[in-house]
Amino acid sequence: MPAVKTTAAKRTLGQLIRRLLLFDLFKGLMVTFRYNVRALYEPRDGGNPNQALYTEQYPIEPARVSERFRGAPRLNLDPENGSTLCIACDLCALACPVDCIEVGSIRREVREGEKVNKKKVLTTFIYDTSRCMFCNLCVEACPTDCLELTQSFELAVYHRAGFRWDREMLEKGINYVKYPK
Amino acid sequence: MQAILTTLLFVAPDWVVKLTGERRPNAFWAEYIVWPAVQIIVVLFIVLTLVAYLVYLERKVSAFMQSRLGPMHVGPWGLLQPLADGIKLLLKEDIIPSKADRAVFIVAPIVSVVAALVVLAVIPWGASWATIANVNIGLLFILAVSSVGVLGLVLAGWSSNSKYSLLGALRSSAQMVSYEIGMGLSIIGALMFARTLSMSGIIDAQRADGMWYLMFQPLGFLVYVVSALGETNRAPFDLPEAESELVAGYHTEYSGFRWALFFMAEYSAMIVTSAVAVTVFLGGWMLPGVTGTSFFGLFGPISNPTLHTFASIIVFAGKIMLLIYAYMWFRWTWPRYRYDQLMELGWKWMIPASLANIVLTGIWYVLALPKPQGGLLNLMQGGASGRLVPTKLGIAYFIVTGFGVTIPIVWGLLTTINRRSRDFNLHEQRQLQIQLRRERLEKMLQQPADAQPAESGGQ
Repeated sequence: MPAVKTTAAKRTLGQLIRRLLLFDLFKGLMVTFRYNVRALYEPRDGGNPNQALYTEQYPIEPARVSERFRGAPRLNLDPENGSTLCIACDLCALACPVDCIEVGSIRREVREGEKVNKKKVLTTFIYDTSRCMFCNLCVEACPTDCLELTQSFELAVYHRAGFRWDREMLEKGINYVKYPK
Repeated sequence: MQAILTTLLFVAPDWVVKLTGERRPNAFWAEYIVWPAVQIIVVLFIVLTLVAYLVYLERKVSAFMQSRLGPMHVGPWGLLQPLADGIKLLLKEDIIPSKADRAVFIVAPIVSVVAALVVLAVIPWGASWATIANVNIGLLFILAVSSVGVLGLVLAGWSSNSKYSLLGALRSSAQMVSYEIGMGLSIIGALMFARTLSMSGIIDAQRADGMWYLMFQPLGFLVYVVSALGETNRAPFDLPEAESELVAGYHTEYSGFRWALFFMAEYSAMIVTSAVAVTVFLGGWMLPGVTGTSFFGLFGPISNPTLHTFASIIVFAGKIMLLIYAYMWFRWTWPRYRYDQLMELGWKWMIPASLANIVLTGIWYVLALPKPQGGLLNLMQGGASGRLVPTKLGIAYFIVTGFGVTIPIVWGLLTTINRRSRDFNLHEQRQLQIQLRRERLEKMLQQPADAQPAESGGQ
């Protein structure tokens, strides 16, 4: 084997002292020790990257999702009188690239104050979550901010039929999952 | 009830009288049979429970260091996890590979765990009655018996008839044998001050000298801790079970409770090595002001003997736990050594360092002897029972020589010995070879280029 120049020959005095005092080893030890101590006193906040304990105990406490996460669909109600915001315009169904929305409506007379208008009124709303790819196009098409994709993501069911969400499910939302905390 | 207990504990049965022919059979029975049996049961129970909870602690510590939570589901904060693990391991199917050597395969974990547990007998868990056997060669006994543990590993690796196990056993035997030397040698410096091999005697010597031997022997302590890590196969020296290379090392083929026995042996070896470190270097069960000595003469140790013994047990356990925490801390911070680096550290650094430490400590000790005994500095005096004890100045002298002289001298010595060992740098060797070959090729191409100028040589 030919002789090579050792790394020791290239070392500066500062590096030599750091090596002598095993500086790098202790630096590493301090990092882990700081995490250990912080884990003991910091309040637990799962999924918060600034916290010493990053773990979120998902089935026990709700999991965090990103703000822009698109999950289960919902039909919003008018907060003033509790009636649906949907005007049955069918734009969402037209926008849907996988045709998973079916809007059912009838024309009937609706009393609005003094006048009586003939209007399209929503009867059924079928949303097939098994076909949905959560692209958000329907939400963008909605003129009244009625349809919305929420942060809820627990959509698993035991039968395929459960994937067809009707109007009631869409308005009330689902709560299969009960978190102990 | 009390009568039955008294007969059972303090009255010798007939066969003891017949067998031993003791003049005071009742005293013999109570002192040598019943009381040690009680002690053994208590110590075994506590240590085995501790071993189970050390696994839990290790998981928690590693989890906290990695921003995780660790076991949380079984019991509050996962506190019943060791119990669940134990039951699971007990109920698992007992698998012995068909090509394995059955008898040896069964014996190996037993050898391992027995070697680890027998040692517990001589460890001074506390003052006065809190030791099972106060043997006057306690330290020697520990070193001798714990080295039998290697046999268990080797047998396990051999009998499994698997390449991973065999390689793991090969590594572990080489590693444990080489680190045992450093471990045994590193203690000798402290033994020069203690002048006894009895574990309780070493602690008493530290009380008489008025200083823990960590202060006299910083280098010895350092070498001991590193060697103990190597000896117990803990990270950063956990090559025998390097999962990325050897699956699980020597216990790859083991499962169920046999595997648990190996685990138990590993963790009780951890307890034993830290107990030895505490006894020899950290003053055993002494804590100034609580047990052993007074706090710089301000307030004394606990005077009630029973309370004192219990306090000493707690102090000893606390010191052990601190060291074990350090073990875990190291494991979850530092990466594993490469095999040649491990051997280099053992043979080229730890063993020479401990040898130099022995020589230098001997020199400091002889220099400090009183004048009539041939010393120069006269820093020691005859204490109780004729033992030489350093004076106040002598303590300062030993601390200064330990930290200020021994460590720099040994460091200089080791760097001189090992100054060329970094030459074994494969990457740089390879680069140099490539460069030399290129130069040679260029030269070869140049010579025909002179003869035929039309043909231009490549790079």
